[in-house]
Amino acid sequence: MRNATGGTRYAVAVLATLAVAFVALPQVYGNQSVLFTMMTYMALAQGLNLVYGFTGYLPFGYVGFFGTGAYACSILVTFTGLPVLLCVIGGGLAALLIGLILGPLLRLSGAYFSIANLAASQIIYYVVSNEALKPLTGGPYGIKIDQVFAPTASYAAMLVVLLLTTALAAYFRLSRFGLGLRAMHQNPISAAVAGVNIVRARLVVWLVSATVAGLIGGVYAWNLSVFYPDAVFTLEISVFAIVFALFGGVGTVIGPLLGAGLLYTFYAAIGVSTPQYFQLLYGSLIVFLVLFLPNGLVSLLVRRKLHVL
Amino acid sequence: MSSEPLLRLENIEKRFGGLIVLHEQSFSVSAGEILGLVGPNGSGKTTTINVISGVLRANSGRILFEGKEIRNQPIFRIARLGINRSFQVPKCFRAMSARENIEVAATFGAHAPVDVDAILDEIGLLRHAGEPAGSLTVNQQKMLDLGRALATNPRLLLIDEIGAGLNPSELGAIAALLKSLAARGIALIVVEHLLEFLNRITDRVIVLGAGRMLFEGSLAEASRHPDVVAAFIGG
Amino acid sequence: MALLEYALVGGILYGVFFSLVGIGLNLVFGVMRMINLAHGQFIMLGGFGAYLLSSHLGLNPVFGIPLAVAGGIVIGWPLYYAVVPRLQRSNDPEMLSFILFFGIAQVIEAVTLLVFGADQHSLPDSALGSGNIGVLGQDFPDSWWVAVAVSVLCIGGLYLYLSSTRLGFATRAIMADRDEARTTGIDVDRVAAIAFVIGLSLAGIAGVFVPYMVGSVSPSIGGGLTTTSFAIIIIGSLGNPLGTVVGGLVFGIGTMLMQTYYASWSNLVPYALLLVIVLIRPSGLLGKAVRSA
Repeated sequence: MRNATGGTRYAVAVLATLAVAFVALPQVYGNQSVLFTMMTYMALAQGLNLVYGFTGYLPFGYVGFFGTGAYACSILVTFTGLPVLLCVIGGGLAALLIGLILGPLLRLSGAYFSIANLAASQIIYYVVSNEALKPLTGGPYGIKIDQVFAPTASYAAMLVVLLLTTALAAYFRLSRFGLGLRAMHQNPISAAVAGVNIVRARLVVWLVSATVAGLIGGVYAWNLSVFYPDAVFTLEISVFAIVFALFGGVGTVIGPLLGAGLLYTFYAAIGVSTPQYFQLLYGSLIVFLVLFLPNGLVSLLVRRKLHVL
Repeated sequence: MSSEPLLRLENIEKRFGGLIVLHEQSFSVSAGEILGLVGPNGSGKTTTINVISGVLRANSGRILFEGKEIRNQPIFRIARLGINRSFQVPKCFRAMSARENIEVAATFGAHAPVDVDAILDEIGLLRHAGEPAGSLTVNQQKMLDLGRALATNPRLLLIDEIGAGLNPSELGAIAALLKSLAARGIALIVVEHLLEFLNRITDRVIVLGAGRMLFEGSLAEASRHPDVVAAFIGG
Repeated sequence: MALLEYALVGGILYGVFFSLVGIGLNLVFGVMRMINLAHGQFIMLGGFGAYLLSSHLGLNPVFGIPLAVAGGIVIGWPLYYAVVPRLQRSNDPEMLSFILFFGIAQVIEAVTLLVFGADQHSLPDSALGSGNIGVLGQDFPDSWWVAVAVSVLCIGGLYLYLSSTRLGFATRAIMADRDEARTTGIDVDRVAAIAFVIGLSLAGIAGVFVPYMVGSVSPSIGGGLTTTSFAIIIIGSLGNPLGTVVGGLVFGIGTMLMQTYYASWSNLVPYALLLVIVLIRPSGLLGKAVRSA
């Protein structure tokens, strides 16, 4: 493509900025757990953007992959004693498996897909948190892997996952594969007639996005090391990822990062103590965005003829 | 020209629920030939194109392209085999530039490298190459839709009502373009209401009525055939 | 045997009530081709309306019914005209409306939380009669029977509205084909706005009885009610409001059987039903839900 080298340079710059920022920030801002959670939401918003921004499928149950990753990682740590990084990768693979099982959902159109995906995530949650699975998952009493607790190492791991997810978004944006995705997003039948294997392209994006969420969940569990099922399956996680991505602008690389960065900062300032006010704010924000700014913050940059990756 | 036709339909039947929209369709087209498909609204013309291009699945029968059965192939594979089409209502990638529209098909649908500029020139959009498809006029979008089909290097091209809404000089240009494509060896199936336009590019037509083939032969004979007259007046 | 009979009779009662819970969502979908993701929050508002009436004014909660209708008009009419025509002109009405109603759901939930707090509220048991009525030797509280009677009246009323009034006829025309209806001279937006108001009112009325059927009302119950409603209308027939009754009964009986025999898994019922149906018979039961490519 024409802009391939310029685009690649832009992508490298975005990745470098992210890396430098999250390496440097703990030196100037003491609360590393806030920074960690911000990276988690940036990565989740970006991971959700992979599938929503590039195919138009909005995975309302995205949290299901995140929770699956968190639990798969924790279970592997508990029962196998494998190195924790391998357990994190196991979390990604478990989410990939769930993504494969849910693959047939991609036959559904927009809103039906979203709700069916939501139902799937609730099923996973109810199964994992069920009393009957207490020996494996701890059931409603949660799970504990504090033997591998390592805040700095898991912080670094989350940064790597964030960079990986962002690199994937850049790939979707700049590659030949991404050209097919854009065409498919705008008109699936025309894309197929133009020779794009739309069924496979959708499935690939879906599985990549699921795997990423599983990895994020795995690292999150490692960082938390003790948690209840609610903490990794609450619908709020899907909701935040959706709102953050929409606010920044989906289908771009920098949009979800900006959206998550800005809104999570705001959340950390007011939302933790008064979640209702934050909920009111983002609820109104969604209504406003849909009606007046459906392409998010970055569309303001595009209107000023700024190049947006 | 080889004796084996490029495309052959054998007893193709298509049903929507209990409604049979294509009855036992059998016909063939050879390389470099233009076949007109005419008939009243709802007679199955567009359905025929949809079935050949894979957008719809036929319920029974065979579709042979170069002797190979393609009836149950997915759309993209049929496109890569060398069958492409335009749409009655052009389906462009609206947020992409005209050039990118062509590039998608050249990238995914063609086996050999495609000269994107040459195609843009051929469809008269070279000057508009950088504009988003959604901002082009409907007629320009129709041409872009055709260009998208051409960019896959098709050997069989299915054209769905490209003439509607064009003025006489535009119709003349399209007729010349379609004839030049046939002269290159591309087979064309052209669905058209404008019989005068069709008459300029081919003499061989199939007349459909309520999903049945009523007539196959020259356009002049067709207009005198009693079944055809009845279908048009009755339908 | 008594357990099974209890589950079946209870399931039917529960299912009839949940038909009312889902029917507004289905009507709105049928007419507007939009999924009102705030449906459960409107039900929740109905529940809080009834709670306010009974706890602050000492009125019988059934007065929540006219309140729900008034609320449906006051909220639904302006909301329709403020957002729906604009969305329908956008490039992706299905997804954008879905997201917008989700935002509205969040606003409603947040406001309710700010006003009432996160606590669960229940309504006085005796307000709808303190006894039990038995069928086949199985006793169910009076409040259940009142809820079921109101559900039957509402669903029957909707049926009559659709089948034998001029507006209902126009509504059905819009459900069949919105553009075609417009060309025949129907004021599509007015008829659809009325359907939206009816949909919200029915949700509110269902909400009045939620504290009795589910146990309590709290700001957070909306999301679950929306998903349950969606499952019910998918099991029935999407876009056909009366098919909802079938979905309600399947859901009600399924839930009661699970609660009786595998209690800890019963909250899985609506989600599992939804998923199984979309995966096994996406075209049969859903019709338009499947992508063409």
